[in-house]
Amino acid sequence: MREGRNWGGASLVLPAFVLVAAFLLAPLALILRYSFDLHDPIKLMKGVFSTQNYVQAVADPFYQDVLLTTANIAALSTVIVMLLAFPVAYYISRLESQRLRGWLIILTVLPLLLGNAVRSAAWMIVMGTKGVANALLLSVGLIEEPIKILYTPTAVVIGLVSVLLPFAIITLQSVMDSIPSSLEEAGQSLGHSPLRTVYGVVLPLAMPGVAAAAAICFALAMNAYATPVLIGGPTMQMMGPVVYGQIAKANNWPFGSTLACILMFVTLVLTIVSTRFLSRKYF
Amino acid sequence: MSGVTLSNIRKTYGELAAVDDVSIEIRDGELLALLGPSGCGKTTTLRMIAGFVAPTAGTIRFGERDVTSIPVHKRNVGMVFQGYALFPHLTVAKNVEFGLRVRSWDKERKARRVAEMLRWVQLDALAERSPRALSGGQQQRVALARAMAIEPDVLLLDEPFSALDAKLRTQMRKEIRDLQQDAGITSVFVTHDQAEAMAIADRIGVMSHGKLEQLGSAEDLYKRPVSRFVAGFIGKCNFVEGRVVGAQRFESAEGLALQFGGEHAAGAAALCFRPEHAVLEAGAPASGNSLPVTVKSVTYLGPSTDFEVLSDSGQTLLVSAASGTGHAPSSVAPGQKLRLNWRPEDSFVVA
Repeated sequence: MREGRNWGGASLVLPAFVLVAAFLLAPLALILRYSFDLHDPIKLMKGVFSTQNYVQAVADPFYQDVLLTTANIAALSTVIVMLLAFPVAYYISRLESQRLRGWLIILTVLPLLLGNAVRSAAWMIVMGTKGVANALLLSVGLIEEPIKILYTPTAVVIGLVSVLLPFAIITLQSVMDSIPSSLEEAGQSLGHSPLRTVYGVVLPLAMPGVAAAAAICFALAMNAYATPVLIGGPTMQMMGPVVYGQIAKANNWPFGSTLACILMFVTLVLTIVSTRFLSRKYF
Repeated sequence: MSGVTLSNIRKTYGELAAVDDVSIEIRDGELLALLGPSGCGKTTTLRMIAGFVAPTAGTIRFGERDVTSIPVHKRNVGMVFQGYALFPHLTVAKNVEFGLRVRSWDKERKARRVAEMLRWVQLDALAERSPRALSGGQQQRVALARAMAIEPDVLLLDEPFSALDAKLRTQMRKEIRDLQQDAGITSVFVTHDQAEAMAIADRIGVMSHGKLEQLGSAEDLYKRPVSRFVAGFIGKCNFVEGRVVGAQRFESAEGLALQFGGEHAAGAAALCFRPEHAVLEAGAPASGNSLPVTVKSVTYLGPSTDFEVLSDSGQTLLVSAASGTGHAPSSVAPGQKLRLNWRPEDSFVVA
């Protein structure tokens, strides 16, 4: 590597940095500031510095419950996504036909081209009491009466898994592409069955990718909005919609900001801890 | 330990035969080289022995055991991959231990075996290193120790020296050969480098277009090649086109009478001789083969001097004269007209 500072390279990052600083970091700083302010029905904010919001949010069983539900649903969705994505990503990355690979990758990301709301609306049609899923189950005779799928935590997990799966597959697949197949052949020549080789060679080498994919999925699930609102229904409370409700409906910007900051902090801590755990386990 | 028998193995991809009816009997403890240009089928043959490729037809046996339809992981082969394929997430010792994980040996016995193998390749001091921290030669020795730890029936090496620089390559050749002899294991290695094959193999199988052209010792192949391909691929060779007209008598296309050793059926053929068997002289000898030639270029290489000469028919021929034998007249210069002389017993005919 070359000695000294390379300002030429750094200057390439500048436009992106300015954009992020102006439109992401600055609003984030504002939200952090608001979170320590107090609500005023007339002026919107009192312009004080107080930790009252935090105390209130942390002590209120309602918000404790919402946060716990959110974390549970996000964690469960992430685990399911990883279990489903790993074999698919492995299959795609080991395909010999470049054409088929290309098509499968396009097919994988295709759902992302749909808006979140559109996809959720589609799920509503599928999962409703008179929806496609119930009709199918009834006609096959697996159930005798329509079951409630929509507006349950299960429905939200299904919805989230479908949103997150493409992200996980693409992330894992690119990591697996960088694992030479000769390593698997070496494993097999040393007496390990193909399945055992995946466990003993591919999985440990793909662990950084597994950690990255899981972090992306978990963060997206923690902050999900459209899916819990549309599929979860009015009784199902998750952090994203609750933050929105405080800011847009209750007009309580300071308390909404506090909830947003708590959500951000919890997501960050859980992601870092679990990623560390995953990578340490294998390296 | 056992020998390996390939009986009429074929591998076709659609219309194309990558390996076409190859039969080889590899003797117990022998080091056999599969030699040929890229695309000749040597690697496919090796991968069929390993079990990575299923033959379209034919059988493969390790000793008496028919392994043709046995999957790789049950075949008990030791393989050294091109680029070694060491597990980057494991230490040297863990790499060597990898094949023992599936055995029901107790911990102590596995550790003993790993230590034994690392001592064998003289890497016991580096057991806890990551393979990434090793030199190319050391990585190759780890790969060998890992492959041999499982006590395989046969050791397979895929272009084992291609990732090493020229100097290390010669050294590792000898090391691998010594270790192979020491273990007494039946081994097959694939290479496109004829010098490499000649240096360490007991026998060499030369392959071209999916077929086994010739199987024999380095000396057999050099002195008695059975085809034009083998003659040209093993060392350098001059070809004079023409036809066989009688017992050991050959007539070149221009009508010159030449003689050769050995036997060959009458008909169109080429008479071959090696550059180092020919001499450039002012006149023709009383008996033996001789061609009038014009010197095209002179290259002094130290141990020898190489000449490119043109025959009257316009064909370029090569002459190599060892220094200090008096066969390299220092006065030879491009443009000079001389005689190219060589002995009939140094000539052979290929179809």
